[in-house]
Amino acid sequence: METPASRPTPDEAAAALLDAAAARDQLSHRLALPSWFHTSIAMAIVVQTATTAVGVADQSAAGMGLVVAGLVPFVLVAAVQLVRFRRLNGAWVGGLASRVVFGTDAAASTAHLLAVGAAIWAAFEEAWWLVGLCAIAGGVAYSLCGVRWMRSYRGDPASQSRGESALLLTALGVSLFAGIALLVVVGAR
Amino acid sequence: MADLDRHLVAPARLKLTTMLTAVSEVEFAVLRDGLGVSDSVLSKHVATLADAGYVRSRKGTHDGRRTTWVALSPAGRKALRNHVAALREIIDGLD
Repeated sequence: METPASRPTPDEAAAALLDAAAARDQLSHRLALPSWFHTSIAMAIVVQTATTAVGVADQSAAGMGLVVAGLVPFVLVAAVQLVRFRRLNGAWVGGLASRVVFGTDAAASTAHLLAVGAAIWAAFEEAWWLVGLCAIAGGVAYSLCGVRWMRSYRGDPASQSRGESALLLTALGVSLFAGIALLVVVGAR
Repeated sequence: MADLDRHLVAPARLKLTTMLTAVSEVEFAVLRDGLGVSDSVLSKHVATLADAGYVRSRKGTHDGRRTTWVALSPAGRKALRNHVAALREIIDGLD
């Protein structure tokens, strides 16, 4: 059973807060990313962007298959890297999973959307070199947003650690698939 | 004026819950090493905070061995926020 709280002096209160914040910061700085973390995510985004653009521009069932196939490497890379992070650190950070890996960070999702949009346009124009360029730019921007998030997290772990809810992530996933399906349907007319 | 939370007055528990704000879930051994306490001391703190509804603990595995994962609950987050506000008031001499 708990005894009534004894009131700390201002010095004791300040020391307790400083000590607690130092322990939190030490934990957040100790968390390490698995090897090739940002690079593998960037490469998966490059593949996903390029296959989405080529698949949508193909305007066929095979093209839609390519769009879906392009998501497979991304899902695999995301799952493997998140499992490795958890094993390496004995910790799970929801913000890392949603903002860095699944791109719910505003800058990452905007960069990804722009890259996919530009790559699809380039694919319809049959400018394949531009499709590749957009895909690479999208992948690099996506991973740079992840690097930036890690810096923000280490600067303020308490406000950055939490990820989006499973409901929001599901809604985003459904919106993504609906958007791709709409592009295919509109393009087929 | 915010009140001190009796479950968080012990510095180790304040430290533990503050550490938990940096993660969504963390393995028992990581917390123990971060706090610099023994397994039994940490178990007691976690049990007390779990009884208060401030943390959730669950059995799981890590590197193939059975372990306990600990997370801060929404109630714990709110209690910590209020407790920190109360400590700040003391520091600022507002009471």
